[in-house]
Amino acid sequence: MANIKTQNSRKKVQVSMVICESEERKHRSGVNALQFDPQLDRLYSAGRDSIIRVHEHERFIHGMEHHTDWVNDIVLCCGGRHLISASSDTTVKVWNAYKGFCMSTLRTHKDYVKALAYAKDKEQVASAGFDKSIYLWDINTLTALTASNNTVTTSSLIGSKESIYSLAMNPPGTIIVSGSTEKALRLWDPRSCVKQCKLKGHTETVKALVVSKDGTQCISGSSDGSIKVWNIGQQRCVQTILVHTDSVWALLATENFTHIISGGRDKKVVVTELKNVHCSILVCTEDAPILKMCFTNDQTAIWVSTSNSTVKCWKLPMERHFKAEIPMPTQPTSMIAGDAAIVKATVLNDKRHILTKDSCSVVALYDVLRASKIENLGPVNYQNEINARNSAKLMYVPNWFNMDLKTGMLTIHLGQDEVDCFSAWVSAKDAGISDHPEPDHKVNYGKLLLQALFEHWRGVQTDQESKIYFTVPKHIPLILSEIGGRTLYRVLVGDTGGETENALLNETVPNWVISNIEDNCTSKFTKVQFYLKPHASVPSNLLKQDRLKKADRLVANDFIQCRKVAEHVLDKLLGEGTATSPGGGGDGDSQTQNNSGYTVDQIQLTCSDQSVDHSMDLRTVKHFMWKYSSDLVLFYKIISK
Amino acid sequence: MGANISQLERDIGSEFPCNEHYFGLVNFGNTCYSNSVLQALYFCKPFRDKVLEYKAKNKRTKETLLTCLADLFHSIATQKKKVGSIAPKKFIGRLRKEKEEFDNYMQQDAHEFLNFLINHISEIILAERQQQQNNTGGASSNNVNKSKGAGENGSANTGQPEPTWVQEIFQGILTSETKCLNCENISSKDEDFFDLQVDIEQNTSITHCLRCFSNTETLCSDNKFKCDNCCSYQEAQKRMRVKKLPTILALHLKRFKYVEQYNRHIKVSHRVVFPLELRLFNTSDDAVNPDRLYDLVAVVIHCGSGPNRGHYISIVKSHGFWLLFDDDQVDKIDSSAIEDFYGLTSDTQKSSETGYILFYQSRESL
Repeated sequence: MANIKTQNSRKKVQVSMVICESEERKHRSGVNALQFDPQLDRLYSAGRDSIIRVHEHERFIHGMEHHTDWVNDIVLCCGGRHLISASSDTTVKVWNAYKGFCMSTLRTHKDYVKALAYAKDKEQVASAGFDKSIYLWDINTLTALTASNNTVTTSSLIGSKESIYSLAMNPPGTIIVSGSTEKALRLWDPRSCVKQCKLKGHTETVKALVVSKDGTQCISGSSDGSIKVWNIGQQRCVQTILVHTDSVWALLATENFTHIISGGRDKKVVVTELKNVHCSILVCTEDAPILKMCFTNDQTAIWVSTSNSTVKCWKLPMERHFKAEIPMPTQPTSMIAGDAAIVKATVLNDKRHILTKDSCSVVALYDVLRASKIENLGPVNYQNEINARNSAKLMYVPNWFNMDLKTGMLTIHLGQDEVDCFSAWVSAKDAGISDHPEPDHKVNYGKLLLQALFEHWRGVQTDQESKIYFTVPKHIPLILSEIGGRTLYRVLVGDTGGETENALLNETVPNWVISNIEDNCTSKFTKVQFYLKPHASVPSNLLKQDRLKKADRLVANDFIQCRKVAEHVLDKLLGEGTATSPGGGGDGDSQTQNNSGYTVDQIQLTCSDQSVDHSMDLRTVKHFMWKYSSDLVLFYKIISK
Repeated sequence: MGANISQLERDIGSEFPCNEHYFGLVNFGNTCYSNSVLQALYFCKPFRDKVLEYKAKNKRTKETLLTCLADLFHSIATQKKKVGSIAPKKFIGRLRKEKEEFDNYMQQDAHEFLNFLINHISEIILAERQQQQNNTGGASSNNVNKSKGAGENGSANTGQPEPTWVQEIFQGILTSETKCLNCENISSKDEDFFDLQVDIEQNTSITHCLRCFSNTETLCSDNKFKCDNCCSYQEAQKRMRVKKLPTILALHLKRFKYVEQYNRHIKVSHRVVFPLELRLFNTSDDAVNPDRLYDLVAVVIHCGSGPNRGHYISIVKSHGFWLLFDDDQVDKIDSSAIEDFYGLTSDTQKSSETGYILFYQSRESL
């Protein structure tokens, strides 16, 4: 958290929250990266749910949460004291691995950071990604960064013409290799940052790389399905290994560079002897494409991660397996079970509840205003459930938030369009606020949620207008970010009252949030324009003369109910021709007869030849019955009692 | 004019095909964009046959652009003389009524006209078919109820109406394949086309330009692809390939480029060789008929320096020899003269006579 700078950029800032459990102990989605600490016998795993998790044997120790998008790679350095992570949120983070907190955030990259490489002997880390750049970091400098001393110098390796997907460096840091969509490998000397050469041979993206300790050999895995062994001195490919039926996504070389372990999109992990590439053996077949592998402490087994959330440990073959004396085990020796990721989400018509379906086909119901899962429905039919819930009550509420599922959890974004954010007005009754003095009082969903998210930062307001009706759990991460751009600040809702957090929020919370949650009247009701026309059956003597010629064009708040429109018809449009009875039944009570002798219940409204229920509001009629963007047209007629 | 007509007949001599007529079309003030396209279409044999068939089948229907076209083609095909010129007055009149953009005396874009014409004809046929169904629908509704089982089988087709004859002639299918570079899943989407709009490069061939048409485009940076499988924005590679090759392949060379500097469209006179025989190489792996061999049958040529000035003419192949139609003028040309319409090798010359729309006909249909 050391080097968050005040960004005076002109990009608009959005407010997001991730709806998660108070402790996310299990991976939710694919696990992109693995690191093993042999001293503490701990496994670090990180992936698409943005969380880095630490396990001791199969036991969950803690999670390291600070990234806001996929973690694509991690490197454990300084003998296990520090961890470096690379993420699609475009940052590289430095962590205290023992205590699990984020020490600093490097914002040098301009696009997803995809790969890291580590030179152990020099404690140097390189990062690379979709911005085509490779940056070299001195870890001792990075870990010494403080809030006041946060300038980092970095060397960059230039020359890449396309996005980098893989990176490798040898322990002495004498050679660095990158793989990209260019299909070629590019080599540099990290000491001088001088470009060495380009190795061509693959026909698709190079997705995995390893370099031998002495820097003379390099092995690459590609989406073309091949593994190539390169002699760096001779700058040529010396072997092509074809053991996968699909893309090769992960590589791991044994300590003495005698064997190469490869994992692919074909879900298989294969060990191949480098001296005799025809000698290869299948380690395991997983249930999803292989993303990463790392050795266990004694190097007799490997941890394998896939695009599913479970990480499994598989025995590596020994001499006897190669000789086919005994078969390979078909089951993993141990595993760290993962959780299901949300893969589908549908906002229900009330624009408050979201129905989700996860990778195990379990359907659940979420309440956005409470930032919580409220019901687990089990493996029911998703579409039927949506239809049933949406048809229970026909109701239209404007969209006021956006969402995404990139982390396998629901992330809600507010303010991608700040007008939309405050467009959802519903009555206190419809919002389920039972203790409101006026059930018909209109509340605004966007405002209610923002109030709840910033409750601890702003302190509790006492006036009626700003009363907190919904609270958001304190563990919910709150993220401020540029729209379509980088994360500015991530903080837990419960921590926003802290002194440092408070100051940082003062700098980053955008004006559109402050003005709308503090001032009461800036958010305006949305108007709808509509025409009222008499149905052909309405006796013309009941109508004022000019009603016959010209339809009434009216403007009203979009949430008013059609009963009010019927009252208007009764009061203003009918009976003016028969000015016989005294007074006018103006207060709209349905029992009150007006001077024409009709009640509100006798006024029937129709839209597109369908009769409109009096309890429906205008926007619902417009959205579900009218269905055009042009002004709504309503007809009225009189029905007998 | 008389001398010229006899000149054409003299040039063709004894080879003059029977039942063939070479008639120029009178210009009504900048209507060469229409004349050139109509001549090219007249010599796309499958199209001409279908239009004449339509004329024979549809007596006394209300006037549409298609009936005007059919009348025009019919009157050319039934002329007593073999050569001459004809005034497409009714057609132009109807065209100006149908589309506001053409209701003036300005030079129009021949490709826009072709595109409008083909789409419009297809719509007319669909509307007429619909009307026919409505007319007979009342009588046959009983039958539908009785044979419900058969109706259900048939309902699979109702989503995709049976193609019209215009679609059968000109319509092909392009498939765009997008590969997410993270999960490497490929999603593909098909779309119909009546012509391929091809970007051109200097001193190249149409084959080269078609290859570029199908080059892989990388979706990256601010233009990432939202991958359904990854539930996130990822880099992706996208390419367009031809999945179904049409009977007549119309290629539109994009010779009018908008140049911001001048705030207008500038003509690109690049030399692009178009062969007399063409095979497509940018077909998808699941293409229906990837090996189709095409023969050049007609070319609409733009003469001049810009889109809103200049002149359109066309060259067509008929019975083995080539003819040049310049409004009401018709001349026989040597096939070697086609080279003159490839374009200019240097960019300095302003005015040029360049191939603009190429009509290739599948050899199986000849």
